[in-house]
Amino acid sequence: MSAHHSDPLQNPEVQQGSTLRFATAFLASVLFMGAALLVSQHKLPFLEFAEILVGLTFLTLAAQATLFFGLDISRAQIWKSVSLILTVPLFIISVGLTVWAFSSLYSRTMLPANEVPSMSMPMDSNATMSMPAQQTLLQ
Amino acid sequence: MATIAKAGPNTRLWNAEADEHDTISTRTFGFWLYMLSDALIFTGIFASYAVLSTPMNLAGGPGPAQVTNAVEGFWQTLIILGSVFAYSQATVALKNGSKAGVAAGILVAMVLGVAFVSMGWHDLAALTAQGNGYSRSAYLSIFFTLIATHGLHMGIGILWMLIMLVQIVRFGFTADVVARLLNLRMFWQFQATIWVIVYVYVYLLGGTA
Amino acid sequence: MQVDLQDPWSPLFGRLTLDSIPYDNPIIVGTFLGAATIGLIVVAAVLYYKKLPYLWREWLTTVDHKKIGVMYIILGLVMLFRGFVDGLMMRTQQVMAVGPDSPGVLGAQHGFLPPFHFDQVYSAHGTIMLIFAATPIMAGLGNIIVPLQIGARDMAYPYLNAVSLWLTTAGAALIMLSLFVGEFSNAAWVGLMPLAELPYNPGVGVDYWMWAIQLSSLGTTFNAINIIATIVKMRAPGMTWFRMPVFTWVNLSTSIIGLTAFPVLGVALSLLTADRYLGTDFFTVGHGGNFMLYIDLFWIWGHPEVYFLILPPFGIFSEIVPTFSEKPLFGYLTMVAASFAIAGIGWSVWAHHFFTMGMGPDLNGYFSSATMLVGIPTGVKIFNWLFTMYRGRITFTTPMLWAVMGIFLLLFGGFTGMMLSAPAINYTVHDSVFVIAHFHCMVLVVAVGAFAAVAYWWPKVFGFKLDERNGQFFFWTFTLASIVVFVPMFGLGLEGETRRLDYVFNPQWRPLLIAEEVGIVLYCISVFYFLKMIYVSLRDRVPAGDDAWGTGRTLEWMTHTPVPFYNFAVTPQINALDELAWRRENGLDKVKPQTFVPIHMPSNTAVPVIIGAMAMALGFGMIWRIWWMAGAALLAIVVAVIARSFDKNQGYILTAEEIAKFESKTELASMIAEQPKRTPLDHVEAH
Repeated sequence: MSAHHSDPLQNPEVQQGSTLRFATAFLASVLFMGAALLVSQHKLPFLEFAEILVGLTFLTLAAQATLFFGLDISRAQIWKSVSLILTVPLFIISVGLTVWAFSSLYSRTMLPANEVPSMSMPMDSNATMSMPAQQTLLQ
Repeated sequence: MATIAKAGPNTRLWNAEADEHDTISTRTFGFWLYMLSDALIFTGIFASYAVLSTPMNLAGGPGPAQVTNAVEGFWQTLIILGSVFAYSQATVALKNGSKAGVAAGILVAMVLGVAFVSMGWHDLAALTAQGNGYSRSAYLSIFFTLIATHGLHMGIGILWMLIMLVQIVRFGFTADVVARLLNLRMFWQFQATIWVIVYVYVYLLGGTA
Repeated sequence: MQVDLQDPWSPLFGRLTLDSIPYDNPIIVGTFLGAATIGLIVVAAVLYYKKLPYLWREWLTTVDHKKIGVMYIILGLVMLFRGFVDGLMMRTQQVMAVGPDSPGVLGAQHGFLPPFHFDQVYSAHGTIMLIFAATPIMAGLGNIIVPLQIGARDMAYPYLNAVSLWLTTAGAALIMLSLFVGEFSNAAWVGLMPLAELPYNPGVGVDYWMWAIQLSSLGTTFNAINIIATIVKMRAPGMTWFRMPVFTWVNLSTSIIGLTAFPVLGVALSLLTADRYLGTDFFTVGHGGNFMLYIDLFWIWGHPEVYFLILPPFGIFSEIVPTFSEKPLFGYLTMVAASFAIAGIGWSVWAHHFFTMGMGPDLNGYFSSATMLVGIPTGVKIFNWLFTMYRGRITFTTPMLWAVMGIFLLLFGGFTGMMLSAPAINYTVHDSVFVIAHFHCMVLVVAVGAFAAVAYWWPKVFGFKLDERNGQFFFWTFTLASIVVFVPMFGLGLEGETRRLDYVFNPQWRPLLIAEEVGIVLYCISVFYFLKMIYVSLRDRVPAGDDAWGTGRTLEWMTHTPVPFYNFAVTPQINALDELAWRRENGLDKVKPQTFVPIHMPSNTAVPVIIGAMAMALGFGMIWRIWWMAGAALLAIVVAVIARSFDKNQGYILTAEEIAKFESKTELASMIAEQPKRTPLDHVEAH
């Protein structure tokens, strides 16, 4: 609101930037994503693969939050950090509960996913339904 | 809590110096809040992607494994991270008040940003040419939406950089310009953050599983 | 690319033809004539008294948070009236159309509204009441009061504040337009899928609904950013977190919801927009679409939205109850904690709106227990208000009556909500009018909170109190009406009347439906007393003091009444929670600042109102598929935003002498007075 005459370049957020920090963030992100790419080229059990990916993503995001965005508990940045921490649960809740709700819905109301006949096939495709699907229906 | 202190001779009732607010940090904080709400937009899209990427949503069309290429996606990852690094370097030059340094960083970031967007555009155009456009299936609808929403953000960032180049030359580093440069830095870094999640979730987890 | 439509389409007018104007419907024509007459009278009065420049300079282009707040509330009240008339029509239709022998008029087989028209009426009622009446009124109150309560000069971003207002107004204008040009959605306020999809709803009604909500929710998100940043960054010295009044606290928690929930609504509506315009398959039947995804996304926003609306009234009651009990608020810390607990829990209970989807007992169990948890912080709040009143010196002024009424309604709505949170009960009464009665009790808390707040803070804003006698008539008729409408509705719901019926098949329900009609007539009487209250107050204008009620506790009662446009002549230094009560105890409440320092004020700007007008044109162009209009409007918005960033206007400086002059004669600096013309600063210091 008020007219202020201090030098904008002395603002802590300007002064916070440093080549070393940004370069580290860049290299860390590239490294973790490269590792994720390498892992994906191997045939791992899905759960294990997913765990590794989640871990690498978490590391990348943490590196970006602290080094790129420069989030910390200093006076200049504290409220950004706090608001992010308050918001992260919402990301997890909204995606997580949605995924849970719909996977439960699908498993209760739909045929097992890999046995669904293609929607683009003619309607009599039930006749050509694979054996496991028929077994599921009979159960 | 309510400390019932008595007023003494030194009690101060008015504070005339209080009007000095740090306008730059007020603006960056507001923009940060906007970005959190933007992140919720992506959250909504990711949740939709999760629901609409099962085999039942393909309608006989291609699935995640057919429309994504993990290696090509990695090149995009490298490019967007490079662009973010270039822009971040521009704000390091800002510390010294170097107009040339800031402009050079922004230009590199813009070039890499355009390269990134055109790669994504090329992917979507190729899919459409194969007859696998966004109206083919619910899965392709959400895939196109996710990539296009991110691309739209990138486009807005590039336009913003263009405007900042003009303003740096015209106004120099005033408080307004500096606040905008800092906001743009957050916005641009945020695009890389979103892309990392897109890459892991869509290209690696969905594409190879 | 875009979806082909069956209708005729021309490049110049899109889908708009003369047939789109429903001049053959006597109800709409009558409404149009009424609205046009009122509109003409207002315009003529403005022109006759030569107030157009004043309106433009002091209101339309203003960035003053108090004026913006007042305009929000006026918008909300106008829309509240529109939504009320919709409710009146629905109740009248239902009482007329009972049983196969019920007569029909005006082209309807039963009652006076054909099903298609009736569906539009209830869709409009819900959309308007929640998004265009309750939300703007609460946003307006936050706008006026929060900066005053924390000792700030204005919001953190005065310009963005005006943009929020005009985006909301653009959405409201689109809804009003849908009455006379085209039609409104018939797919309920939630947007029932796949009914709202193009094949089942080829008209423009759903488009009106979509774009109106989309524009206003953008405005609400910006407003939330503004309130959070104001509270975090603009507090007066000494105003530590735990010296903030509870109303400010609830505005923080409600704005966190606004900031985080509205984007998800944006996603849901955007995906529907893509379905309707581009032919994607998100919520379609077939092509792998899943229409329950829409319901899921909608309620991810929808449930937090309910708490977004209900939290500000909690804050209002927390201000009013201590003031009229002459005691500090009982359990300040628990009140703050409960506000955030409600906001947090409110974010993780949304699937209780569709227990019947079939997601299974695990999920239903989780969402049921999470929903029941909300009862704990809400109970804490109710007990805190009761303990505040306990052994207090209570005066039952109008605001206090409304607050007590709000607590009662909250109990009604809360207990029935607990019933609904049990899936077994929920399955039985799902989509019955029991649910309607429940959530009307809850949103009536919002309405009651709004009336309480208007009566309570009116003197602060305008300098005179609302007429007490007519205010109490208004209160009692409104209260009686609420009971007579909604208690029978609970009964009808338990007897199995489903919601959204344009024809009631069971003649045995007629007595209770007649009771509801009596209630709605009582509401009409309460509207009369509301208008009379405003009229009498404006006529008599009994001046109010700075601390209008004599027992105010918070900062806003410390500045002048009416509040000068710069809020505080000198920013106060805060020494305690309930600063004014503290100063009164120490005999310092009459001390005024003697020396003044210059104040930097923002200049008015026309950009926000232009953006609002262009946003409305964008919405109108998209609704009628007039592509040139939508494109041009979007371009105009982008250009306006960029041009604004090149504007070097740095506001102006109010000198110490001017402030001293205003302080000695505050009506000159009041909101409705015309302020002196100022030349803006034009200094930009480059480095």
